[in-house]
Amino acid sequence: MSYDDVEIEDMEWNEELQSYTYPCPCGDLFQITKEDLKLGEEIARCPSCSLYITVIYNMEDFLGDSDQHKGIQPSKQQSVTVA
Amino acid sequence: MEESEKEKNKSERLLLWSWGAGTDGQLGTERLQDQQIPQQLSISSVSSLACGGAHVIALTSAGKVLSWGRGSSGQLGHGEVVNNVLYPKAVTSLDNYFITHVSAGWSHSGFVSDKGCLFTCGDGSFGQLGHGDYASHSSPVIVSSFVDQHVAQVACGMRHSLVLLKGSLSNQVYGFGSGKRGQLGVSKDKIKYINLPEVVNGFEDVEIVGVSANGDHSAALSVDGNLYTWGRGFKGFEDSHLPQCLNSTLKFTKATLGWNHALAMTGEGEVYMLGGNHLGVLSDLHTVRQAKQLTVDSREANLEKVPGLDETKITDIATGAEHSVLVTENGEIKTWGWGEHGQLGLGDDGDRISPVTVSLGYDLSEAASTKVYCGSGFTFALTKP
Repeated sequence: MSYDDVEIEDMEWNEELQSYTYPCPCGDLFQITKEDLKLGEEIARCPSCSLYITVIYNMEDFLGDSDQHKGIQPSKQQSVTVA
Repeated sequence: MEESEKEKNKSERLLLWSWGAGTDGQLGTERLQDQQIPQQLSISSVSSLACGGAHVIALTSAGKVLSWGRGSSGQLGHGEVVNNVLYPKAVTSLDNYFITHVSAGWSHSGFVSDKGCLFTCGDGSFGQLGHGDYASHSSPVIVSSFVDQHVAQVACGMRHSLVLLKGSLSNQVYGFGSGKRGQLGVSKDKIKYINLPEVVNGFEDVEIVGVSANGDHSAALSVDGNLYTWGRGFKGFEDSHLPQCLNSTLKFTKATLGWNHALAMTGEGEVYMLGGNHLGVLSDLHTVRQAKQLTVDSREANLEKVPGLDETKITDIATGAEHSVLVTENGEIKTWGWGEHGQLGLGDDGDRISPVTVSLGYDLSEAASTKVYCGSGFTFALTKP
């Protein structure tokens, strides 16, 4: 059973993992790649446990130009300020 | 156990155990691996802990702060971004302050000093650090909104934070960070996120003594024992954008939140659960209620006493994302819920639907106090002689 339904706009783009991620209750991250999204895959899995979530998104947003997709807000993720 | 260890145990000192998910070093065992049975740690002088997504913040009785576990967002406060820290390391930038209260969220952290200053560090992508921007910080930074106030407590959730002020009856509780599920409680309207503290609505005539946050949930306890919750609705219930008082005659003294459930303890040592029937967190999977979209007024129906405890009084409670822990008056630690990473400490990766006693290999009945703390998928127990 899917652990949760999560909208793509609530997922964060992770440059290192090249995936959209969302916190997993085990402490790791649910992950899904743009390629998966283009194929219509809606399950984001956690590499550390058996849980997975269902990603809510429009497949059309991920078709066409590879990196610039409409409807997805740019990631707010910024580098960490090292004091 | 080594003979020398046994000797040490007899001396008057605190004891610390950890178990569960450990692949970010959060167990403090100096290993990157899960542990299905409690591991005794040799960390001394810890007076309390806060456990987050995969990091731990420890407070010493001298007001100093140690942290370990995942540090990839700067949540450890060491002034550098590291994947993980395997051993307790001092947060030296707070050395000039006497820290009295700490909280660990999914990937951010909060620290409160005896003078009432609030510091935050870690992931700020959702405004959850409260500095007026979305920057992340790897060293604790003072939250300037509260420099003229006395902060008593901070509570860090997945992507939001709550703050309780001391001696400020009209504006006691503040929220900032992600508000999509209503977890900020600052407006009945949908708020995506705010990066500066705003007052939580609904506590104008109530004295709040404690706040908690986890996942997309928020909670507060009033001085007369009423429990307020807001944010993501517990299973089968709608989200609430403003604090809702639980319709119950029970008087609660402590409440802790998971990602889909909550535990609340009464002054008489009884423990009740809200939400649940999720991943086995809850009691009885065979009596799943058809509670779809119930209004908040009927939430008492969702509150049930934790089964299998008979008349045993409970002295402490803690909740991970999907597991629960309690301490009985006899010093026993019991766990239930999701167990895939060993977070129940029962020697396997199975789930439990009601409390089961954890064996620490140590008699806790003589301990003056045993406290339990949960991170998302892991658990700590701390006993004081």
